[in-house]
Amino acid sequence: MDFFIQQFINGITLGGVYALIALGYTMVYGIIQLINFAHGEFFAAGGYMGVIILSWLAGQGFMQTHPWLCLGLSLALTMGYCALLAMAVEKVAYKPLRHSSRLAVLLSALGMSIFLQNGLMLTQGVYDKAYPTELVSGAVMLGGVRVSVMQIIILGVTASLLFGLNALVFKTRIGKAMRATAQDKVMASLAGINSNRVISMTFAIGAGLAAAAGIMVGLYYGSVRYDMGFVPGIKAFAAAVLGGIGNITGAMIGGFIIGMVEIMAAAYVPHGGEYKDVFAFIILIAVLYFMPTGIMGENVDDTRV
Amino acid sequence: MRKWILCFAALALVLGGAIGCSSDEPTDEGGTAEQEAQPLKIGSLSPLTGPYAADGNDIANGVRAAISVVEEQGGIPGYSEIEFLPQDSACDPKQAVAAANKLVNEKVKGVVGAYCSSSTIPASEVIVAEAGIPMLTPASTNENVTERGLQNMWRVCGRDDDQAVVAVQFMQDFLDAKTLYIVDDKTTYSQGLADNVERLAKEQGLEVIEHDHVNQGDKDFSAVLTKIKDVQPDVFYMSLQNSSTGALMLIQADRMDIGADIVAQDAVYHPQLIEIAKDAANGVYLTFGYIDESTEAYKEFKEAYAEYGEPGAYSGYAYDSATVLLKAIEQAGSTDPQALREAILGMDFQGATKHISFKENGDSGSNYIIRQVQDGKFANYWNPATGETY
Repeated sequence: MDFFIQQFINGITLGGVYALIALGYTMVYGIIQLINFAHGEFFAAGGYMGVIILSWLAGQGFMQTHPWLCLGLSLALTMGYCALLAMAVEKVAYKPLRHSSRLAVLLSALGMSIFLQNGLMLTQGVYDKAYPTELVSGAVMLGGVRVSVMQIIILGVTASLLFGLNALVFKTRIGKAMRATAQDKVMASLAGINSNRVISMTFAIGAGLAAAAGIMVGLYYGSVRYDMGFVPGIKAFAAAVLGGIGNITGAMIGGFIIGMVEIMAAAYVPHGGEYKDVFAFIILIAVLYFMPTGIMGENVDDTRV
Repeated sequence: MRKWILCFAALALVLGGAIGCSSDEPTDEGGTAEQEAQPLKIGSLSPLTGPYAADGNDIANGVRAAISVVEEQGGIPGYSEIEFLPQDSACDPKQAVAAANKLVNEKVKGVVGAYCSSSTIPASEVIVAEAGIPMLTPASTNENVTERGLQNMWRVCGRDDDQAVVAVQFMQDFLDAKTLYIVDDKTTYSQGLADNVERLAKEQGLEVIEHDHVNQGDKDFSAVLTKIKDVQPDVFYMSLQNSSTGALMLIQADRMDIGADIVAQDAVYHPQLIEIAKDAANGVYLTFGYIDESTEAYKEFKEAYAEYGEPGAYSGYAYDSATVLLKAIEQAGSTDPQALREAILGMDFQGATKHISFKENGDSGSNYIIRQVQDGKFANYWNPATGETY
């Protein structure tokens, strides 16, 4: 039983990371029907910005005296940075193509992904960068189950960001504007909503969440690398599709499912570590076979952003 | 007006092309009447991008260091300079073959590489088997690299079957292990080595609880590590293609406190492993070739390599590979494959990493020992020849 609970905790930690990244895919898709292939790179950029800020703070000695303040500060700065980066990417690579074919924007997104990844490689180097992990050592024993402090931080930050996003989308004016734009861009702009600004905001929020995931992953696994965005990006995209692309709650559920399936396959299936991705995608295919719009894909009109 | 400009541009292009061609011609026809000194081209194949870029750049830098030493001593007679063409093999067989074809077209006289055995084998089919150009691998330890009867395929590092023997011997004689859990990441190298260890361990009466696999590019190993913690093996044999995956696994194993001795191998050996895993790396054992750091040759290498930072796992082997190649070209006085083969077979000198001499099949012998990470450093730990700790 302890073994199962331990694996369950591993699963929700990983799932939380996928959920945070998946939200960016689903929000952007919801609002302009674009699969933003560059989204994984915001996650990587967040990981790098986090290591730069945290290493500097550790060098100044703040990390040792005020660890939680440092964590909060780096999280806020990193999310802000990636939000600005995403808005810039949208202006440069997607906005000029908004009225051309969807394929053009998709290719532009692929190009942006390669550009950003290579940019990271050229500016930050090909070697892994180590996170200062002093902050997050230690673990709590709950019976026979070992929960590391970092897992608790990931779950806490993920949960608060998810609740925060829900509140933003469903309780605020900008959230209402986003939902309106998602439903009908022309009609929303006739009603006085600045759709350019709303699209920009959507990119910013999605990238901010991915950046938070990047910093969590860096702290949890101890290092970042320039190409770290690719694999989690694909998995998170699968999570968004699984949940019903365009649907926020769906992306969260999809993220947790993919994370959990991966861990459980590795834990219980013989040689599962080798095939865990296969299981994640089998689940995806099976769900799409019976529910082509994804798990939460039905109520597209009300809640998609 | 615009027409005029266009005309001029077209004219300039034609003229430029013609001039370019005419000036190229004499140098293309090497070794004509004037015997004009040309550059000597040598190439390298290693992953300069992608997950193995760290080791790949170490290899390219090792070759650069060897070239700089030879250039400083006056270069190679008959050549104006040594031109180095580093190619990116990306640890991808397809790209490795494309890069190999490029090197052949560039008419290089020798190649150092590749890194991943899965790239070295197909690339050598192009470079060695088809074009007859000598190729020296500084890092590919899979047996098949030199077991295919190629005449000019050389290996400066050790072999996996020898490496596995030392690993299993250490587990049994020194760690007194009864049970073993193996994890590899499914590359020709890591899985080949893990299979060797599994086979030998079973022959020696060790119980292999499970031989699991993970994917390259994974970051999360919590599931498989929780499994290991659950079954409590004496030894966890971690067979991975590179140090960055190794560091990730060590950090997570440390956090989980899995409680088994960890044995790894040469591909995980890199300063990066300790830099990233920090305290989590302490106590880990690795099989790696014995390098006598007190020799003159090693000191010369260290000095020449200084501008690229600390030597990585394969920097020294790449340096020695390039040194062998350049020495052979100088001694043979030609770049004829047969003459080069004879010159390389006749090598007998102290290199930076080992005493260099080759067998008929292209191997240069293995000298694996066990190293351990102690206080943030790789230290010589156990000598399989004597069965004693250093």
